[in-house]
Amino acid sequence: MGVVLIKGIDVELGSNIQRSLVSRLKNMSGWSVVLAVLSVFLFIFLVQFALPFSSDSQEPYRLVGEQLALNGNGNIPACAPCHGLQGQGNAEIASPRLAGLHPDYIKKQLEDYARDPLNTRAVVEPIARDYVKTPRTYGDLTVFTPGTRYDPKMNELAKMLSAEDRHNLAIYYSKLVFVATPKAYDFETLERGEDLALRGKPEYGLPACDSCHGPGGQGFGAIFPPLAGQPVTYIIAQINQWQAGKRDNDHLALMRNIADQLTDGDKVNVAAYYDNLSYSVNSE
Amino acid sequence: MKWIFLKWVLFFSFYNVVLSVAAQEIGQSLDSLEVRPSLVNSRLSLPTQLTQVHVISPGEYFAPPLVADISDDRFGDMVRMGRNIFINTDVYAKRYAGNGLNCSSCHLQEGRKPHGIPLWAAYGRYPMYRHKTRTVVTLEERIQDCFIYSMDGIAPTLDAPEMKALVTYTKWLSKGSPVGVDLPGRGLPNVSRTQDLDPKRGKIVYETRCELCHGKDGKGQKHTNGEGYIFPPLWGGDSYNKGSGLQRVRTLAKFIKGNMPLGASFSLTDQESLDVAIYIWLQERPRNPKMSWAMDFFFPNMAR
Repeated sequence: MGVVLIKGIDVELGSNIQRSLVSRLKNMSGWSVVLAVLSVFLFIFLVQFALPFSSDSQEPYRLVGEQLALNGNGNIPACAPCHGLQGQGNAEIASPRLAGLHPDYIKKQLEDYARDPLNTRAVVEPIARDYVKTPRTYGDLTVFTPGTRYDPKMNELAKMLSAEDRHNLAIYYSKLVFVATPKAYDFETLERGEDLALRGKPEYGLPACDSCHGPGGQGFGAIFPPLAGQPVTYIIAQINQWQAGKRDNDHLALMRNIADQLTDGDKVNVAAYYDNLSYSVNSE
Repeated sequence: MKWIFLKWVLFFSFYNVVLSVAAQEIGQSLDSLEVRPSLVNSRLSLPTQLTQVHVISPGEYFAPPLVADISDDRFGDMVRMGRNIFINTDVYAKRYAGNGLNCSSCHLQEGRKPHGIPLWAAYGRYPMYRHKTRTVVTLEERIQDCFIYSMDGIAPTLDAPEMKALVTYTKWLSKGSPVGVDLPGRGLPNVSRTQDLDPKRGKIVYETRCELCHGKDGKGQKHTNGEGYIFPPLWGGDSYNKGSGLQRVRTLAKFIKGNMPLGASFSLTDQESLDVAIYIWLQERPRNPKMSWAMDFFFPNMAR
């Protein structure tokens, strides 16, 4: 089998150097071929352990993203004036923390910002051709859209970004270090916020925040963003946007259903609870 | 007598063949022309289901006491221990837990959610006659069955501290609820089927509504630190076994209708819930511990 393989390589390769290598391989005895193959496997085995320590494949993207985030590029203004030099956000203008968020989450939000809210490419499926022959799930008429997110500043800015820009920025911000500084709130607010975060409001069909956003609101994967470490004003503003229908880019309309159940007091209490937690990301 | 036994064996072997054929059909690829591409690859669903809206008015369901109001005495300590076991069974009742589930994986929101098998509605109904065992069972015996089947583990004895703590927690949670009354939100909502159940349709529902959290393989997703599940496994070795209540298609459909997707209860229709329930029912999971290995090998799809 080894011989067959080598013959195949011989036909494909054109250069003289490679041809001489192949002919040398042909002259090797059976055991040395086995040894050569084994040493290749050993090399690959060792390299996969060495790779993570030697170089980071995302480093070039991170550097370009850093350049764009701090200095901007041509017409594109920098992100740092609003989102902070460390990506920590700004509570005064309800600007979110970006440091340590999942890169796919950042990318998706930028895509949704860039999408024109009036042209969501929503497709309402026509009536199925033959219900008898295709007994599929047509229980409801469901409209699927890619999702939109309204923000007067970000809509304009996100449209300037290319796919590469979005990728670079996402890599840069996901690798930033963030350490939250817990803030003090009064006891009653924290107690009510904790009750909502850990247990929700079962008698109104509202699940706990932590059941999807992870214990301590630390986020889970690309879909469920962290709540801890976000400015209080940002969390409240976003829930208001869900309720007003200005943000509509969640999965399975989960967050829209939940936001509809939240009172103004709930928003304040739960945001204060997460602002009170200690939380760090990307730091030892 | 012999003939009756033979008849049953023949019946079940035939039953088994039919089911395995059905299971194979699920694996077939779907006709791309007949399936809406948006359904298979969904990202968002807008509120178009205007015919059926589940509105909860204040005071409709029983409101259990707050955790912050647990008293600072021996009773309160027992309640806290029971709550810890309930929401983190793997840690606080490690010797009895057999799989990756907690009590609160099924009794949602720490046993508080109406239509999510709430504890406060169950406490006043026990001891009760149970059709499964054909005996009158106490709350403790019912909890033992939860450990044996749903947790696929070992039953704590009736005098075990874990058992005492769980019963104490249940009692505390149902403070102020009447005894012997069917409270609104008890157990699970009813489902009624309109068509024959179809696991193919169930697979589509699973991929559009369940896969996001429970994963493509139905094995759930673990916490970021790797301890325990944030989204519990629906099948596989870490899920409930074949003797548990959720292995009954109807019960699972009721659970799905009343609680899933989390935060969007009653968003699936009865038929969708039943279809996805039979799809989940057909998957692999631990055997019923009360059934022999041979029975499990030859009739793997028999619930009990």
